[in-house]
Amino acid sequence: MTANIFLNGLQYLGYILIFPGFLFCFLCGMLLVGIDRKLVARMQKRVGPPILQPFYDFFKLCGKETIVPAAAERTTFLVAPIVGLAALVVIQLFIPIHGFTAFSGMADIIVILYLLLIPALAAILGAAASGSPYAGIGLSREMVTIIACELPLVLVLLAVAKTVGNALGTGLCFSMSEIAEYQLQNGSLITKLSMIPAAIAFAMVIPGETGSHPFDTAEAETEICEGMHAEYSGAPLAVFKLSHAVKVLTLTSLFVALFFGGIGTGIIAFDGVIVFALCVVATALFISFVHAVTARLKIEQVFKYYWTVVSGLALVSLVLAWYGM
Amino acid sequence: MNLANMTDYHHFPIYSVMVLFLGAFIIAACGSKPSKDPKNPAGFRAWIALCATALSLFFLGSLVKPVMLEGEIISYWMGSRAIAGGYAIGIAMEVDALSLFFALLIATAVFVSAIYSIRYMVHDECVPQYYVLYCMLAGGVLGLVLSGDIFNMFIMVEILTFAAVALTSFRTKVYGALEAAFKYLVVGCMGSTAILTGVIMLYAQYHTLNLAQLANLIPGTMNNATKLAFAFLYIGFSTKAFIVPFHPLAADAHGAAPASISVLISGVLTKSGIYGIIRLTYFLFQTMNLGSMQFMLVFIGSISMFVCVTMALAQHDFKRLLAYHSISQIGYVLAAVGLSTSLGISAGLYHAMNHTLFKGLLFLAAGAVLHETGTTDLGKLGGLSKKMPHTTVLFLIGAFSISGVPPFNGFASKWMIYQATYQKAVESNNIGFLLVTVIALVTSTLTLASFVKVSQSVFFGQMPKEYENVKEVPFGMRLAMGILACLCIVTGLFPKTVTGVLTEPAARAVANVGEYITAMGFKSNLPAPNVTFAQVGVWEPINWLLILCIALLALTIVAVAGKYDRVSERTEDDTVDTKYQLFYGGEKNVYSQVGGGDLFWGFKHNWRHYFDFMHNLHSGIVNDYALWAVVALALAIVYMMIVL
Repeated sequence: MTANIFLNGLQYLGYILIFPGFLFCFLCGMLLVGIDRKLVARMQKRVGPPILQPFYDFFKLCGKETIVPAAAERTTFLVAPIVGLAALVVIQLFIPIHGFTAFSGMADIIVILYLLLIPALAAILGAAASGSPYAGIGLSREMVTIIACELPLVLVLLAVAKTVGNALGTGLCFSMSEIAEYQLQNGSLITKLSMIPAAIAFAMVIPGETGSHPFDTAEAETEICEGMHAEYSGAPLAVFKLSHAVKVLTLTSLFVALFFGGIGTGIIAFDGVIVFALCVVATALFISFVHAVTARLKIEQVFKYYWTVVSGLALVSLVLAWYGM
Repeated sequence: MNLANMTDYHHFPIYSVMVLFLGAFIIAACGSKPSKDPKNPAGFRAWIALCATALSLFFLGSLVKPVMLEGEIISYWMGSRAIAGGYAIGIAMEVDALSLFFALLIATAVFVSAIYSIRYMVHDECVPQYYVLYCMLAGGVLGLVLSGDIFNMFIMVEILTFAAVALTSFRTKVYGALEAAFKYLVVGCMGSTAILTGVIMLYAQYHTLNLAQLANLIPGTMNNATKLAFAFLYIGFSTKAFIVPFHPLAADAHGAAPASISVLISGVLTKSGIYGIIRLTYFLFQTMNLGSMQFMLVFIGSISMFVCVTMALAQHDFKRLLAYHSISQIGYVLAAVGLSTSLGISAGLYHAMNHTLFKGLLFLAAGAVLHETGTTDLGKLGGLSKKMPHTTVLFLIGAFSISGVPPFNGFASKWMIYQATYQKAVESNNIGFLLVTVIALVTSTLTLASFVKVSQSVFFGQMPKEYENVKEVPFGMRLAMGILACLCIVTGLFPKTVTGVLTEPAARAVANVGEYITAMGFKSNLPAPNVTFAQVGVWEPINWLLILCIALLALTIVAVAGKYDRVSERTEDDTVDTKYQLFYGGEKNVYSQVGGGDLFWGFKHNWRHYFDFMHNLHSGIVNDYALWAVVALALAIVYMMIVL
């Protein structure tokens, strides 16, 4: 009995620390960012950095001096990056990989949507605590981007909940693992007509949520010096960079889990690789390609775009799902 | 009467109201001479008020077991006069789980705010009178929710309205205080008069004022006069809840009132309005099975939710901003209650409770800022987190709660509201309710945006020079905020316990009108309904928190081992080193913070026509608001006549 509990505890600890927790997030997130940078460079006819460059950057930053500005609120400034990263990794634990979820039955899709706010909020509070005017503008833009992305995301998730609920006969389904289970039985959701606009809308949300071109107004290194990260240096900045990488992984794997579930073998090691491969494809298409061909928008244009074009697509999907198509 | 008889819990409801009124009379009788203690100008009179509120809370707390858990409905006839000739003659109190639920909220808020008042009111004049009015207001609201008699409800409405008006203008030297009180007086009196008119019309027809008996008689005998009475009563209680179109009054009143009174107005007065609306629609007239009534409440709730959150985004005063958020959250409550499903009612009541807790906390934090800096203008404040670290943390807990950030209590209740609205949409196959879900979800994010604005412009960001000497507020004030913050966290982490003990019994009571009628001694043939609280969603805050803590711990160990905390600290002789100064991109080091009102330019630019329209609409002229009240009454009458 005791041994059993001990082994279970060890297993869960393994989930949190190794797979699909910290180590997996660290390696895959960084790799995704590395691939992204390389792809963008190739699309722009540059050589680009090596794929492992994000790792080098991370470890180099960790060795640098950390400066807390005299005007900053020290504790919040230093703690915010850590909390944000931890919250992101925990979200990753709730996203199913093929049929496997590390912790199922604890949070559903709407909760995940709100858990995604915590890392953003941590970054915002850290930026606010730095006292920098650049960070002030950056956090304002970040918040507006969050509001902009929220409406389409909500509509997409409600549409998914309705579609799966219709198919299961319950009318509604919020549970992430039930959505995964449904896709195992009936094939990916993307094959449903009503889900195609939702998938496109979600794909458009990914660059907004991860703060990539053309929606990177909140960072805008050329105008407001990386905005929220303006005063960060050394290890805290490294943690923020890592958080960004994990966020790319979280959003792409959420996309894969919602619309391309049910593709896999049933052997967890292979499934992990397949999901990662799908994430790479998603990153290449929705982050790298979009990055390479667009220029940065203004913040009010970002907002308008999300609340009209993307929300419109998601709404089409929701209405189609509502009428059972 | 012997002691055993006196300590019977059936007397506790009347005791809980009585101690507050007694407290008020004793304080008034003790004269208004200020005490010599500069830290407590009201002297022992403050302690009387505190004891009265504590006793009241104790009496109500001891009713949790019989009423909430065992499902008893306490009916109490004053002076042992009961039913004579089939009519209720005496004055009655009737305490079911719904009444007790609201009474507990009220008593908690009143008690915490009394703790806060002691150190908060030190700079004011006439503080003893403040406590008289305070106890009157508390007693009035408590009497309202515990009463079993509609005329008594009206009397309590009068008491609480006048106490609230007087307290709104308590700081007569504050700019706009008298104006706010006057507006509140005019529209509040219109509301009270509407309630009185409704009561008269009901009494003329049914010859009784007892709620249970009215609930027994009205539903079968609806005619135009009852519909008219319904419209009047509904509008009357709407003014007390400040829901649209009465929201501008709340902003003015909160802006001018002392923070401890804002807590009462937002956490307690608005709840009394919501309570009145629930009693009317579910009990007296029993109209909530009609789609048209559900539509009305959900529609007004959604409008309140959205309009007030956008109004809040445009504010640049801390307390006015909170006031609009208050109504926005009341909109959530009304929309959820209006769904007329058990889950909806439970979710709505849960949110009502959470609103009292987190909004109380936020108003107290605003009061702390006002107490130390003398202003609540978001454009003038900044960087207070270094001077007031505890207040900042407490404020952030409140801000996270109201914005629905997991795992705080606002999320737990909003989460139930999202499910309840979506389930209702699926069950009734009405896509309109789905729109409510979307509005609720988006409003939640806008609320977060608005509180990011507050934290950036008050607690973080750059600190203006004049606040260099600001200190942390006294312990008494922090204690009051701490109690509310703890409650915010606890009710967020244990949603199942809270719903099981508090909101589900109350929701059952709402569904079971027949029992309410029979408990008072009348015959009712309403069947006991089958109530279920099935949810589609899953959310395990404790487990999530556990995983987060393990993740945080692991990360902290790595960070500490990796010398994350080895920060280059500024030393005394090091002040010239520019690397510790903020980066201004080569510009002059000026105070260049984006002002509070302009922080979300990207959002407001796209909605500029809407904001211009709203700005013109809220003229701030009391005549306009009185006109709104009349128009709302007319619309309500027409609507009731058509649909009922």
